Amino acid sequence: MSGRVLVVDDEIEMQRALRAGLSYHDFDVHTVGTGEEAIRDAASWRPDVILLDLGLPGMDGFATLKALRPESRAAVIVVSVMPEERDKVRALEAGADDYLVKPFGTEELVARIRAVLRRQAAVTAGEPVIRSGDLEIDIGRRTVTVQGRPVRLTPTEYELLRYLALHAGKPVTHTTLLRQVWGDYAIGDKYNTRYVVAQIRKKLGDDPANPRYIVNEPGVGYRLEG
Amino acid sequence: MRTRTSASRLAHYAVAIGGVIVITAAIALITSVASVAGLSALYLLLILWLGARWGRGPAVAGSIAAFLLYDFFFVPPVNTFTVAAPAGLLELIVLLAVALVTSQLASSLRRARATAEALALESRALYELATAALRSPDVTVALSMLCRRALELPSVSRFALAAVDLGRPSALAGGDLSASELQQAEWSHENGRAIGIAVRDGAVTLVRTHPADVAPAYLPLASGVALIGIDADLATQDELRMLAALVGLADLLMDRRRAALESERARGLESSDRLKTAILSSLSHELKSPIASLRTGLTALTAPQAGLKPEQRELLVDLDHQASRLDRMVGDLLALSRLEAGLQLEKEPHSFADLLGSATRRLRAELATNRLSVELPDDLPPVDVDEVQAGRLLANLLENAHEWAPSGGMIEVGATQREGKLEAWVENDGPAIATGDLDRVFDTFWTRRARGSGLGLAICKRVVEAHGGTIRAENRRRGPRFTFTLPLAEIAAPRAGAAT
Repeated sequence: MSGRVLVVDDEIEMQRALRAGLSYHDFDVHTVGTGEEAIRDAASWRPDVILLDLGLPGMDGFATLKALRPESRAAVIVVSVMPEERDKVRALEAGADDYLVKPFGTEELVARIRAVLRRQAAVTAGEPVIRSGDLEIDIGRRTVTVQGRPVRLTPTEYELLRYLALHAGKPVTHTTLLRQVWGDYAIGDKYNTRYVVAQIRKKLGDDPANPRYIVNEPGVGYRLEG
Repeated sequence: MRTRTSASRLAHYAVAIGGVIVITAAIALITSVASVAGLSALYLLLILWLGARWGRGPAVAGSIAAFLLYDFFFVPPVNTFTVAAPAGLLELIVLLAVALVTSQLASSLRRARATAEALALESRALYELATAALRSPDVTVALSMLCRRALELPSVSRFALAAVDLGRPSALAGGDLSASELQQAEWSHENGRAIGIAVRDGAVTLVRTHPADVAPAYLPLASGVALIGIDADLATQDELRMLAALVGLADLLMDRRRAALESERARGLESSDRLKTAILSSLSHELKSPIASLRTGLTALTAPQAGLKPEQRELLVDLDHQASRLDRMVGDLLALSRLEAGLQLEKEPHSFADLLGSATRRLRAELATNRLSVELPDDLPPVDVDEVQAGRLLANLLENAHEWAPSGGMIEVGATQREGKLEAWVENDGPAIATGDLDRVFDTFWTRRARGSGLGLAICKRVVEAHGGTIRAENRRRGPRFTFTLPLAEIAAPRAGAAT
């Protein structure tokens, strides 16, 4: 088994399609239709990943996410039809690990699930070196290398890259980056993060028009390729 | 009516003569008791009253009667019309002259008062109409009142107003209009020409060719036509002036009505736009849910573990592509309607390279078969755009280029700063666009082939225009190029503090 996936979606057709698709990729799948059932089964069935649709009847996705978060250690991938950017930001800041816009193909979903599982494993193992392609960030030694060549970053640049690296593969919102890198009293100016990211890209030799390491999440923030 | 007027006039003269006789008798009575000089002045009182009451005619008649009777009874020799002494003659002449001047003064006083009264009446009527019009929420009610007021003028037999909305006249107040009258009204309004009537300097002039009951006069107003049936022989100056004032008020009221109609129409359009977007939004949502189940189900079965034969898998992959296409079309339709309804842009400074990077990533799979060449100057200033919309613009242009470029073909993206704006372009080496179609490629639902939705480039145009820019298509030597402009951000350089 690749892992246990709890699917929370009120549409029977979607439940059935996901059950089939994910089990062909060796996942153990359990489906429920409401937020209350999700909270109950997250505690009893102990999934590795929860696929949570935001548009649930009754207790909605956001409320479910908030109720799930302190209890469950499962990664949560939020799923939604036509989400606005602020919904994505809200979900990420409420503790979601990733989001996926409906409709999606099974391949894409499987890739996302594997990515969050991999990340979870790395965090659990306390992996000191994080890799994104030929970029290596050694958290223990505070060093960054590209193709083995060291890169000199300012403390702010390093902090930002480190935070992205610790959440490699996960979209990180501008607000979260500002708070993590500049502290709680940071003035919410996205232009700060944009400027620092531009500097990091330049030093890593990354082309902003075709980035390999730090990717823009339009309207949301940034993500380090996992 | 005319006979009654002359009868009452005759009575005025009779009163004048009678009054003079009564005063003569009174003077005779007084002089029989005591000798009092200058009693002829008593006549003047009467003449003054006559002139003020009925005008010059009765007053002059009274003056002459007084002159004759005074001469006959009091100027020696008494009981003859002859005058003996020059002093008596002088007294008589003075009496006549003073009497005539008095009648003249009194009658002009009367005329002035009559005019003042008429004016007061007129302004009062207009004031009442205007206040009623302002109070009444429905201008048509006020206009009907106005028509009724006009009909109170003795010479006016008909007063109707036709509104001309969007070039078509319709009866608005004062009764129905026949088809031919509506036609006349339309002609009059369209050409701005009055028929049978003219209003100049606040007064109506009648230009009659037919009797009023055969053909009414037409007077074009700003947003309609006044149709007036009036008897030219009967109309007094006062009535014509009143009519002019009423027409002026009608003009104002009808203009107000049109303004109200127009704002209502605009509100209706706006709310129907909002409604359209709301319906499309909920419809898109409803459409996307089944598409989501379709895609998840179809792609689930294409996994090798599903145990289908290769040709069956191939069929499912094709079906999934169709479902994706449907999904994109629904999304495009919604995006377009939101843009058309005036989407609120969240503009912020962005690096053009960043925006392009997000778009190329999104289309990674498609662009893998193309060679992508990006040429951006290092000192390109940031643009002031909505990140999501600008991303959509670039993605649509890249997708379009990908569709048209031959397999393995080149897609070139460039940008430069020009005239305070960013000018960027996306070019591919696919077939040229027919010259006549260069402008039409941005039209909604226009597409060069059956596969596209015809919305991608229409969305591009809306996004660019929402940012105050322009977009155009042209054929370069290599292939078609799409060039657009975006506003530059105010910030010239990032804050120095940001990097520390």
